[in-house]
Amino acid sequence: MNQKKSVNSLLIKVVIFALVWWVLTDGHLQSWLIGGVAIVLALWAAKYPPSDRPVHFLKLFLFLPFFLKQSLLGGVDVARRAFQPKLPIDPLLVECSLRLPPGAPQVFMTNMVSLLPGTLSARLENSVLTMHVLDQQGHYMNDFRVLEEKVAEIFSIPVASTEIGERL
Amino acid sequence: MQTFYIALALFLLANLAAGMWRVLRGPGVADRMLAAQLFGTTAVAILLLLAEASGSHALRDVALVFALLAAVTAVAFVKRAWPMQKEGGSD
Amino acid sequence: MIDLFSVLFLVAGALFFLAGTLGLIRFPDVYTRLHALTKADNVGLGLTIAGLALQAESFSVVGKLILIWGLVLLAGASVAFLIARGALQRGVLPWKR
Repeated sequence: MNQKKSVNSLLIKVVIFALVWWVLTDGHLQSWLIGGVAIVLALWAAKYPPSDRPVHFLKLFLFLPFFLKQSLLGGVDVARRAFQPKLPIDPLLVECSLRLPPGAPQVFMTNMVSLLPGTLSARLENSVLTMHVLDQQGHYMNDFRVLEEKVAEIFSIPVASTEIGERL
Repeated sequence: MQTFYIALALFLLANLAAGMWRVLRGPGVADRMLAAQLFGTTAVAILLLLAEASGSHALRDVALVFALLAAVTAVAFVKRAWPMQKEGGSD
Repeated sequence: MIDLFSVLFLVAGALFFLAGTLGLIRFPDVYTRLHALTKADNVGLGLTIAGLALQAESFSVVGKLILIWGLVLLAGASVAFLIARGALQRGVLPWKR
């Protein structure tokens, strides 16, 4: 069972690297001789450092629409504030303890927070993420928890679900 | 379309210049670090527009390399060009 | 028709770049300026790339444009974090209303 999983993940990686090569070389056929070698080298390089948290590629793919929507909203939100003469911002520093384990999941989460509406990661220490919030009246905490659960899914980590359906 | 691309590229260049005003003015050292972020995105957009306008598609590869290096250079810039000392106050 | 959509995307992208610059100039401290720069410029670049992708001569070019956008996003998020953390470590207090 586990072996089947690792074969699958190897296949997915080969497909991804092949896609990148195809894109880099503008689809020239002659380049695949070198491309094949490059893909093998990339596979070898991708093993270091060994990751203890395998990425669930399907979940990562399903995360894309959510990410695109949120980052677009983030851009619209900040653009709206920058254009308004009154400059409607009310910033605040907030500390949130992460329910994700240290390593890749926390780093991924930290990077995503900066691209979402109204929040910016400013410190990550002992599983506590300090965020700078652009408008403390917003529902940033809600967004944060929703994002956290999505990240947990990508790394196949169980997190205790909170009642995030309710508006805070 | 060519003229349109060039006009947009010039517009973005003006944005870059206006942003540089803030970067040079500061007031804090932290504000100067924003240059790294500003160039990362705007320069890539300008390169891509020029690639389309001039039809020299190699410029796309320049943009790609720029994007690739942006991460490394910006991190190095922020880490090395910013001495560790209290700045204090909200500037 | 495609040209029209292209123009729409590109103009919208330019507006986001303008918003990023406005935010950079108008916002009161380094943290809020980072918000403006990181988020607005990334959407600006995303829309610019969408507009250019419509004009692309092949799918591999579309792929390359998307790859570029992804790299810039990744760099942007890391740099924003580094600058914000650096400012916090050096005791730059966030502006308060």
